[in-house]
Amino acid sequence: MAFNILIVDDSPAMRRVVRRVVEISGVNVGNFLEAGDGQEALDRLRTEWIDLIMTDINMPGMDGEELLLEVRNDPDLAAIPVLIVSTDRSEGRVRQMMSLGADGYVSKPFMPAALSQEMYRLLGGAPNESC
Amino acid sequence: MKAAEFTSLIPTCCAEVLDAMYFTTLLGSHTLAAIPKASHGGSLSYSLRFEGHISGRFGLYLEEGTARTLAANFLAEDEGTLSCPQIGEVAGELANMLCGSVMSQVEGDRKFILSHPQAGPFAPSDGLDDLLVSGLDTDCGPLTIWISVEGDQCHP
Repeated sequence: MAFNILIVDDSPAMRRVVRRVVEISGVNVGNFLEAGDGQEALDRLRTEWIDLIMTDINMPGMDGEELLLEVRNDPDLAAIPVLIVSTDRSEGRVRQMMSLGADGYVSKPFMPAALSQEMYRLLGGAPNESC
Repeated sequence: MKAAEFTSLIPTCCAEVLDAMYFTTLLGSHTLAAIPKASHGGSLSYSLRFEGHISGRFGLYLEEGTARTLAANFLAEDEGTLSCPQIGEVAGELANMLCGSVMSQVEGDRKFILSHPQAGPFAPSDGLDDLLVSGLDTDCGPLTIWISVEGDQCHP
């Protein structure tokens, strides 16, 4: 099964790095979609089938917290797993985002394996074992 | 909290960020009297505002060659293939991650907000900013980190 993944970050460089981590993780990706803020992400979510949202918090315009609330309050989107990928690793922020409905939280800087592990957990699969 | 209290925190946080995502080793750190002037060979400056229990501005200054090497490491690309905007984006993201790492340590359980990194040199406001400038030596070249803490923030 191929998954459609939406990467939301205001930094094109970070979107590229996250995409590369996903690519090398072995996840079977159908389409990568990208958005530079929460509003752009919502626009994509309402027109495309998405299996996983990976979003930053601090972004200009609609931030990751607002995006998460919009997704959780929309019956058509509420079931999509949301993985937070943020520079903010304060305990208060992690607790807050999880209480708002995030399914996982990876702080930057991250090791590629940590991001892959969370991604697989949320997509309900296991990494392909290599020789 | 005074800017000088960040002295030991900055190299610790920078070492972690550089090692994890830029495959770069921090070799040493020292305090500088001022932010270096822009060089003729080209340099990049990015800064962002942080707001929380402590508020202020956090900045990064580096030479173009160092920025190019860091960008190549971060994006896993050859240095020669990178465009100037790509190098700038990576430098901005480095400033963002360094600031986030430092503020996560400082704020602990409290919420804070970071602005989008802006390119451009630091402009001290009438010389009254409480400013700390740290020089970091890395195996990709030198970096300068500065942090300016606003006013009297003696929160109980």
